[in-house]
Amino acid sequence: MTRLIIRRVLWTVPVILLVILMTFLLMRQIEGNPFRHSERAIPESIQRNLEAKYGLDDPWYVQYVRYVRDVATFDLGPSLVLRNRDVNDIVREHFPPSLELGALAMLFALVFGIPLGLLAALRANKWPDYSAMVVANVGFAVPSFLVATLLIYFFAVRWGDIFDVPTSGWDTWQSKILPTIALGLGPMAYFARLTRGSVLETLQQDYIRTARAKGLRRRRVVVVHTLRNSLIPVVTAAGPILGFLITGSFVIEQIFAIPGIGRYYVTAVTARDYSVVMGLTVLLAMIVIIANMVVDILYGILDPRTREAR
Amino acid sequence: MRITTRALVAAAIAGSFAVLAAGCGGGGAGSNGGGPIDQVITINWGTEPPSLDPGLATDTTSADVLLNIMDPLVKLGDDLEPVPNLAKSWDISQDGKTVTFHLRDDGRWTNGDPVTAHDFEWSWKRTISPDLAADYAYQFFGIVGASEYNSCESGCAAMRDKVGIKALDDTTLRVELTSPQPWFVQQVAHTSFLAVNRATVEKYGNKWTEAGNIVTDGPFRLARWDHNSRLDLAKWNDWRNADTVKLKRINGRMISEGTTAVQAYEAGEIDMTAGLPPEELPRLKDTDAYSQYPGLGTYYYGLNVKTIPDVNQRRAMAMAIDRRTIIDNIAQADQLPATGFTPQGMPGFDEINPDSQWLPAAGDIDQAKELMSKVANPNKNISLLINDSPGHREIAVAVQAMWKELGLNVTIRQQEWAQFLEFLGPPPDASVDAYRLGWIGDYVDAMNFLELWTCKSGNNNSNYCDPSYDALVAKARQTEDNTERYKIYAQLEDKLYGENGAVPIVPIYWYTYVQLERPTIKDSLNVNLLSQTDYSKVEEVEPS
Amino acid sequence: MSSTPQEHGVGLAPLRQRKERRYPTPPDGVQTDAGAPIRASSLWRDAWYRYIRNRAAVIAGVAFLVLVAYCLIWPIVSPYDPYAVDFSQASDGPSLAHPFGTDQFGRDLFTRTALGGRVSIGIGFAATFVILTIGVTYGAIAGFLGGFVDNGLMRVLDALYGLPYLPFAIIVLAIFGGGNFWTMVVALSIASWFTTARIVRGQIITLKENDYVRAAHAVGARWLRVLGRHLLPNTLGVLVIAVFLELPGVILGEAFLSFIGLGISPPDASWGSMAQDGYRAYRTAPHIIIVPSVAIAYLILCANFIADGLRDALDPRTRET
Repeated sequence: MTRLIIRRVLWTVPVILLVILMTFLLMRQIEGNPFRHSERAIPESIQRNLEAKYGLDDPWYVQYVRYVRDVATFDLGPSLVLRNRDVNDIVREHFPPSLELGALAMLFALVFGIPLGLLAALRANKWPDYSAMVVANVGFAVPSFLVATLLIYFFAVRWGDIFDVPTSGWDTWQSKILPTIALGLGPMAYFARLTRGSVLETLQQDYIRTARAKGLRRRRVVVVHTLRNSLIPVVTAAGPILGFLITGSFVIEQIFAIPGIGRYYVTAVTARDYSVVMGLTVLLAMIVIIANMVVDILYGILDPRTREAR
Repeated sequence: MRITTRALVAAAIAGSFAVLAAGCGGGGAGSNGGGPIDQVITINWGTEPPSLDPGLATDTTSADVLLNIMDPLVKLGDDLEPVPNLAKSWDISQDGKTVTFHLRDDGRWTNGDPVTAHDFEWSWKRTISPDLAADYAYQFFGIVGASEYNSCESGCAAMRDKVGIKALDDTTLRVELTSPQPWFVQQVAHTSFLAVNRATVEKYGNKWTEAGNIVTDGPFRLARWDHNSRLDLAKWNDWRNADTVKLKRINGRMISEGTTAVQAYEAGEIDMTAGLPPEELPRLKDTDAYSQYPGLGTYYYGLNVKTIPDVNQRRAMAMAIDRRTIIDNIAQADQLPATGFTPQGMPGFDEINPDSQWLPAAGDIDQAKELMSKVANPNKNISLLINDSPGHREIAVAVQAMWKELGLNVTIRQQEWAQFLEFLGPPPDASVDAYRLGWIGDYVDAMNFLELWTCKSGNNNSNYCDPSYDALVAKARQTEDNTERYKIYAQLEDKLYGENGAVPIVPIYWYTYVQLERPTIKDSLNVNLLSQTDYSKVEEVEPS
Repeated sequence: MSSTPQEHGVGLAPLRQRKERRYPTPPDGVQTDAGAPIRASSLWRDAWYRYIRNRAAVIAGVAFLVLVAYCLIWPIVSPYDPYAVDFSQASDGPSLAHPFGTDQFGRDLFTRTALGGRVSIGIGFAATFVILTIGVTYGAIAGFLGGFVDNGLMRVLDALYGLPYLPFAIIVLAIFGGGNFWTMVVALSIASWFTTARIVRGQIITLKENDYVRAAHAVGARWLRVLGRHLLPNTLGVLVIAVFLELPGVILGEAFLSFIGLGISPPDASWGSMAQDGYRAYRTAPHIIIVPSVAIAYLILCANFIADGLRDALDPRTRET
């Protein structure tokens, strides 16, 4: 077990290097001048000054090595566009809101999705099942920008007098409600369906029948045996869901004016802010890798069947 | 069992409602929203200012903040003439090449230091220096020795001393220009010419603009700056003119999505939006809060003179555009249909404007077709390049339909900003036949607009080159007398849009700025032609 | 985001066992003797009959075909020119003349939604196809060859897994300069094929170990035959399901990218770019954003139910309580 973990952890290093290399090369392929933001052209001498200042006049492999060295010391470099800020600062200030948004959405998805799926499975093919699945399917299918728009429209415009919920910013806890729902609805639906399917399958297993035949109370059967085993696919799905949360947050952050990483990313690519794009991509990649690693390890722990098969 | 699961679900739903209910009455993020008159307002800056370093700031948001926390030498009056501010007066020498500013002695920095002419000398030279790599260093290139210093690679210290900026004493600043530039004093109102506190910059380096470090000298100080989230200003009670400042605090949000901003305004979270999305205009136009200001800018479609060489085709394309329809149905902010390049509001407009026959407000499709028929080898496949901001697409689609009537097959290529700029060059990429752009005045003289079309201009994306045009521009630069100069400007406009005009670009409209403002601040809030607001003159009053 | 076949258990039962399990009801009511096999039935016919019995899946299938027909046919027969600008009719709500209303230019939304559907569904299928092709090839090579090659390929895959999909899509779009059909396909598929590769590899490995494959080997069948007769048909089922599972993710991805502004250039439209146009007008003309969003949701719902139906049809072990 420990060997597995150590090996997985060690493997992240070349992975990160690969991510950096790919991002680096890709960014250099995009045409565009990171220093020209307005229609006004930049005089030659100033362009040269800027390139010298940020080391952009060195050949690409020199820049790459320098960048890798900096990353190793956790120095993600200065922003090319926001002249008084470093990428480290940007990450430090804008990562927490995104992380919080993602965590809240994930929490929302789990807290409402799993019980919903459980309910649907236990009342399979009767009304609670049908209605729960309708909710789940609609929640999964409707794109989150529409969900966000509808939420804003109803809670802030139509019923603005009853609910006092801000629709932008991320300071008060009320401002966090709508974005969380908008981002978390899709994953919630997904978890609901997943839980339902998994519980249904588990319920057919022989050991459940055995438990019931032994005369155990339904509640114990459900909670102790069914739920725990059904949650394995849910745990597996958490990895890709995390990816979804990260990408979905780009749109949600824009709509709700949340000062997170997602919003910064799009603007940075648009503005050709190489260092910010590289820094954020590396960061996001590390998150996804670590999350996948955790999920894999968890999976290995939770499901003893997989330990030998691997 | 049954009870448990259902109870779980029911409890969750009930719980969330309870939570929401607890949330109501909580109030927004500290704004007025129709509350008591307490001289605290919440505005929307729109976006995060990329930099509050006057040497590095190039965009309007940073300029907006800087002009309220710093003390420029001169400010622009209502008619955009320079008025004394920190400089109580200035002299211009006989030959027009030396400008001497006389500063007041009561300017102060927030750390207690006095503001002196030495601060200005040091700051201006810093902006010109190659180390800072300032985008707007070129604004100083009219000063003796500036462009040499900026491009120096060795012996820079000596070059620095040769730059024509000298503080003769604490209150006298002498500037030597390479040629007489009648608009120089107006240019000094720009943020690049603000002073910075040397001790602070040297102490904190790159981070000197953070809220905890920054030292300013203007009516407001930077109270709080949460990046990409909010930027608050508070009245500085030790400013030399503090008793004239009514507002106590300006809280600023950063909502870039126009629809979200309108939403926030209507929810009482902010007192002022920054601009309005065109789609909301029909609904908001007649409300109390709607405000409109003329702007000094031109929205235009540039043509590639090399791929559309026949002037009749260019004229036809200009005439085919129904500006009224675009303004009334798409832009919807009562912009002015452009009849020349220099926008209305520019001093001397009446003398300069050609009221061109090639730019009819409602378009003249019949005349345009006639012109088109005179074209021997028309370029029928037009590639129109636009950037992907909202609003440009709609106008492009409308123009595409209008040019279709001339038999032109228009392909709209939409690119995101940085790539778009690459394609524009100059020189523009060969695949570009037409492109969309706007030009907003940096300073208040038509030279700012007309010099764009010289052969070597870094902003001439049309391949238009006429040596006689360049000669006139050079002559105008040397002409001090305003009336004489306006005559030359008129000649320049004539070269572009007169009877024999080359029409290298097709102006569509002149900008206006629109936004929503609370009735309590509506009348005192004034956005000038360059879209700047002086908050030291704003106050909240009872709505009348 | 797609769900994996692990939702319902791993893989499919092998062919030979299936034949002994159960039989579909013959449609023409042929009488049989008790105990005797009715007819030699294939995997696909079994699956078809099971699929037909699933009401939701059938409805979804029909709905999907209706949607595709609408997108392909309506723009050809529509009386409205989807590119004509007519401001006198701008932003009108749904009416008899315009069932979906008009947009800010006065263009009929019913027609534009069909056109947008061509683009969105087209991109969806094209990207899914690319994802599957790359994923299957990669996974098959890894699963089939096994050993050192498999190990290496999987480690590289782990590395690639770390590439966050949307940021890379954005970068790719920026490289190619904004959206047209094929750049969107590339952008959406470049970082999305990893899961498919993993699944296919897992599938191949599982099937390789299966008794019947060993049996085939023992009888002397060559690898190609094993591949052709046994492995691929089983995997095919998984792949068909995978198409309808990946589709929602790709469609949503395209919608997101267009919504951020990196999508299809005007005057062409995809549902995502139509939604972006509509967002700014949602207070005055909400139908402009609602129509394409509902279209997206409709397609995703259909794809989900079809995928569920297919999965139930192809995997007999799932029963309803």
